[in-house]
Amino acid sequence: MNAGGIKLGLGVYTILFLIFLYGPLVVLAILSFQTGPEGGPQFPIIEWSTYWYRHLFGLTPPSRIAPLPIDQALIRSLSLALMTMIVSTVLGVMSAQAFRRRFRGSGAAFYLIVLGMMVPGVLVGLGMALVANTFGIDRHWWSTAFVLHVVYTFPFAFLVMLAIFNRFDPSMEEASWSLGVTPARTFRRVTFPLIFPGVLSAMLFAFTLSYDEFSRTLFASGRELTLPLAIYGTFSVEVHPNVFAFGVLTTLFSFALLGTYAILMGLSVRRAKRVSIQEDA
Amino acid sequence: MTMVATSEEAVQDSPTVRRKSNKTLWLLAPGMIWMVAFLVLPILMMVYVSFWTQTTFKIEPTLTLQSWVTFLTSPTYLGALWTTIRIWLLVLVSTLVVGYPAALFVGLLIKNKTLQTVLLVLCVIPFWTSFLIRVLAWRPMLGTEGAVNMILMKLGVVQQPIEVLLFSELSVIIGMTQIYCVFMVGPIAFMMGRIDSSVIEAAQDLGASFWRIFRTIILPLSMPGVVVGAIFVSVMVLGEFATSAALSGRKVNLLGNIIVTQVGSLKWAFAAVAGVVLTIIMGAVVAALLKVVDLRKEL
Repeated sequence: MNAGGIKLGLGVYTILFLIFLYGPLVVLAILSFQTGPEGGPQFPIIEWSTYWYRHLFGLTPPSRIAPLPIDQALIRSLSLALMTMIVSTVLGVMSAQAFRRRFRGSGAAFYLIVLGMMVPGVLVGLGMALVANTFGIDRHWWSTAFVLHVVYTFPFAFLVMLAIFNRFDPSMEEASWSLGVTPARTFRRVTFPLIFPGVLSAMLFAFTLSYDEFSRTLFASGRELTLPLAIYGTFSVEVHPNVFAFGVLTTLFSFALLGTYAILMGLSVRRAKRVSIQEDA
Repeated sequence: MTMVATSEEAVQDSPTVRRKSNKTLWLLAPGMIWMVAFLVLPILMMVYVSFWTQTTFKIEPTLTLQSWVTFLTSPTYLGALWTTIRIWLLVLVSTLVVGYPAALFVGLLIKNKTLQTVLLVLCVIPFWTSFLIRVLAWRPMLGTEGAVNMILMKLGVVQQPIEVLLFSELSVIIGMTQIYCVFMVGPIAFMMGRIDSSVIEAAQDLGASFWRIFRTIILPLSMPGVVVGAIFVSVMVLGEFATSAALSGRKVNLLGNIIVTQVGSLKWAFAAVAGVVLTIIMGAVVAALLKVVDLRKEL
């Protein structure tokens, strides 16, 4: 077999691999347009309709299929993701800034942070529930679940910022200072534009991971559900296409976040290029 | 600069250095305190509670080995332990087998940088979508009236729908493979991308066959990626319970499922024992994987 044949074979395989990766989501999206309320979560599509999307927003006449409890859950999930994003990004930038200098115990500190993204949710979740029980703390999505979300997303923010600072030339800041520019202005005009792509990536990681986080929340939050918990609740009962419709919407939301991120990154790269051209001129 | 530090001590004692290390401390402290309070403490608490006395509805801090004895003598728990290890091994192998060729193609054989980036992004996008939705998406795929059975029957491959596709161990393995192979493909493709193409060209010029090149160059150089991917997949699969709950119809009980049920019936001490067992397995697996390849040397 020659190299060209192998390359062709692997190329075909990669296409099959991508079908395997995306096929289930495509099928889910198609079935979300099943007619309702009598249409079930399987083929064939009896009639194309947006019934289940209207069902999701409570725009259909009441039927035997209960609506998903998503309105409150959506607000909770978004607030939780926002809180987590802010705290994780701040902690990530601070810790990565500390790692710009070598210090004793840096290895241990590094592993302690990275541990947060490696330990499975079921273990920290259980541990947090036990701690809350023992100390008589009530479990809520905004307290015990929130701190675990940060434990999970802060390492991602930290690693992203560490990679940014590794390529960061401190002489740029020093040059600005020695030219008499104030530290605040230096941060705004020199430091921040340099670390901005990293901050943006850290924010994206923290927000999306928290928004979709499930196993930590399951143990550590109380009776009030977040979106993933509402979805998990449907696992034990019969699945209707309304869950599929919700899946399509939440996936589109994730894609919209990724798209915004890509646009902002593109803009910051363009701006950096423009600045470097001006300098060259 | 006229003053030159003559010894380590002089550097340590100079006020600027001390001020700088104070700054490092202040920058680092919040993150460290957060991790100790909300990660280390809960895990230690879990170990501690596993030795508490479990009564019907509550736990008392009287130390006992009772929960451990119950766990280690119960066929249900030991069965779950064995299922967890079996599923973990099967998923680890299948993510590697399914993901490696794709990573090889994307990371090494694609020379066009734009196409390579597009394919890599396509491989990692699922990471940013809801995990539970991806699990749930397998339900309409695998059922007796599902898409896979429908296509197979249309093509005439089978006459009767294959029942074993959904609510079985197979469906759990298929689902987990699809969800976690992203974490295998990423690191491997990354290592593939770093292979110097002139090495492969040299081997080709000297008349080495593709398999020879694969065995002696590509495979060894991609091993660190395999190990990193295996660590990610192992840790996530061992901590799983949602995929088995959604796709096995309660037939597959992993240690994670045991923890969820025990917490649901307020048997905190038993849940803690299962958690500690899981932690020990994970620690052993990660340590063993790190033994295979010295990551610090390779990366």
